[in-house]
Amino acid sequence: MFDFLIDGFGVALTPLNLGLAFLGAVLGTLFGALPGIGPINGIAILMPLAYTLGLPAESALILLAGVYTGAEYGGRMSSILLNVPGDAGAVMTTLDGHPLAKKGLAGPALGLSAVSSFVGATIAIIGLTLFAPLLAEVAVMFGPAEFFALMVFAFSSMAVMMGKDPVKTAIGAVLGVMIAMVGVDSGTGVLRYTFGMAELYDGIDFVVMIIGLFAISEILLMLEHANRQDASDEMPPLGRVMVSFKELAYCKWTMLRCGLIGFIVGVLPGTGASVAGAVSYTTEKRISDKEGTFGTGDMRGLAAPEAANNASAAGSFVPMLTLGIPGSGTTAVLLGALMLYNITPGPLLFSERPEVAGGLIASLYIGNVVLLALNLPLAGLFARVLTIPRWVLVPGIAILAFAGVYQLNSDLTAIYLMLIIGVFGYLLRKLGFSLAPVILGYVLGGLMEDNLRRALSISGGDLGILWQSGISLGLWIAAALLLVVPWLMAKLLARRSLDGV
Amino acid sequence: MKLAADRILGLALIGLAAFAAVQAANLQIPFSYEPVGPKVFPIGLSMMLAALSLVLVFRPGENGHWPDKALMLKLLAVLGALVIYALLFTQLGFFGSTLLVVLVLARLFEATWLKALLAAVLMALGSYFLFTQGLGISLPRGYWLSDFA
Repeated sequence: MFDFLIDGFGVALTPLNLGLAFLGAVLGTLFGALPGIGPINGIAILMPLAYTLGLPAESALILLAGVYTGAEYGGRMSSILLNVPGDAGAVMTTLDGHPLAKKGLAGPALGLSAVSSFVGATIAIIGLTLFAPLLAEVAVMFGPAEFFALMVFAFSSMAVMMGKDPVKTAIGAVLGVMIAMVGVDSGTGVLRYTFGMAELYDGIDFVVMIIGLFAISEILLMLEHANRQDASDEMPPLGRVMVSFKELAYCKWTMLRCGLIGFIVGVLPGTGASVAGAVSYTTEKRISDKEGTFGTGDMRGLAAPEAANNASAAGSFVPMLTLGIPGSGTTAVLLGALMLYNITPGPLLFSERPEVAGGLIASLYIGNVVLLALNLPLAGLFARVLTIPRWVLVPGIAILAFAGVYQLNSDLTAIYLMLIIGVFGYLLRKLGFSLAPVILGYVLGGLMEDNLRRALSISGGDLGILWQSGISLGLWIAAALLLVVPWLMAKLLARRSLDGV
Repeated sequence: MKLAADRILGLALIGLAAFAAVQAANLQIPFSYEPVGPKVFPIGLSMMLAALSLVLVFRPGENGHWPDKALMLKLLAVLGALVIYALLFTQLGFFGSTLLVVLVLARLFEATWLKALLAAVLMALGSYFLFTQGLGISLPRGYWLSDFA
């Protein structure tokens, strides 16, 4: 049953793909290290380039997946050294990472985070290898009704896990789905929301949407940070970027536990590295923080989110490859990238395009080793990236965004559209929205509508088909539980603590 | 009622939902055997959006930090620079327009004139050669150059 993996290594070990995995790892670490440019921005900027270079689908995916996993490594740099998370997944890394750096242990902290990232990712990649083919076999039985139920489940798990503001998460997702409605309706050929503009007939282009929403809005947000004091001049000395066996042994259970947690959170559709980091940190604090040292520079408090966020990156490939449902915002972007190649990931990917699925998984193994090998000795070099001033960074992003979008159709309308979407993204972020639900809604919206309509035309309009099968009924119940249980738990806990007083 | 950012947003979104619903309801649909046409999904979404936005109007969250006047001006300047970049992109060509926009953006992000000028020349040259020679992307050369050629 692991034929696909052996074939996959055959694909991933070709010189081109090996080179791309390496390039992806380096670029990803750089993107992750740069404050403000996370995996999504990195992929958004590289995607049009990979596409125009005429890379085959599996090679493009290997490059972009390398950027994704690399960025999870790189995100820790600024968290530890500057107390500024490089991307959303590394927010929890600041809690113990920066205090360690302040104690003069920046080097060991970077070393430990590289090793825990490696351990977490390894656990998750093995999990991916074991579970993805199994899940794909189950998913072959999915009909339109099951897929529709699955997407409802994905959205509800996202609404719950994204925490903070479920209403805004839901609004973001609905807005994303609505943006996906623009263009020709595939069922009837009717034009929706095109306002007579021929450029909108094919819908809002994926690259335009991603680059506008993430890269352009990031430029606008950076302006705000630029005005605050620049943190980069107070970088603590690195010291030795190596971690001792004693330190590793101290953290071994933490790494294993949090790698597993991260994998599970990653597999859950709709939740990514930021959730994994938060869940693992709080769990680990509960389990092992007996002396109350978490938050003051405890090695385990650093290992926990680092193992988890890398594990979740690999874990989120499980639903993406087998069900065509992204496990995180970044895999939503990767899914869109595959759609550019007319590949719709889903249960048949493993049987019909094994070179894509297997090649990707094999390249994750390779990339993970490359990343560890790069990150231990070269951490000091990557840390230099943090000192790149914004007046270089921002024009650089602008150039890549403009050239990337322009070369799609050599047309300026796409660029104006990108700028409009950028302002929209900026406003959403200022209003406390997370962009992951928007992008997930945008990627899944069309599929969701297609599946709903297909299901109902099979049943002749009878809504019952949506929960007729065991699988879909189970998914509906799971979705409902996800929405109700946390709310009930909160009520119960509140009552108990009142009783206790 | 206090005027919170979330309230304004909620009202704006309700307006958007109404607009989207009316647009969808007015679609002219050719005869089709499908039980669910292209109207149902957008209208359903509009209703969801309106309902969720109502929650925002009645239970707005924190107001967040909004840019002050100086920052607002800078924001508009950056946006303006990007729009002008787009306007000049085909007119001046990639090289010329990039040179200008890097200069302006670098200045807006607090580089000195010398640094901004250096960045502009290096980045415009570097990206031009990377895209055209390295990646084989065709970029606009600008109308003024074609007059000479």
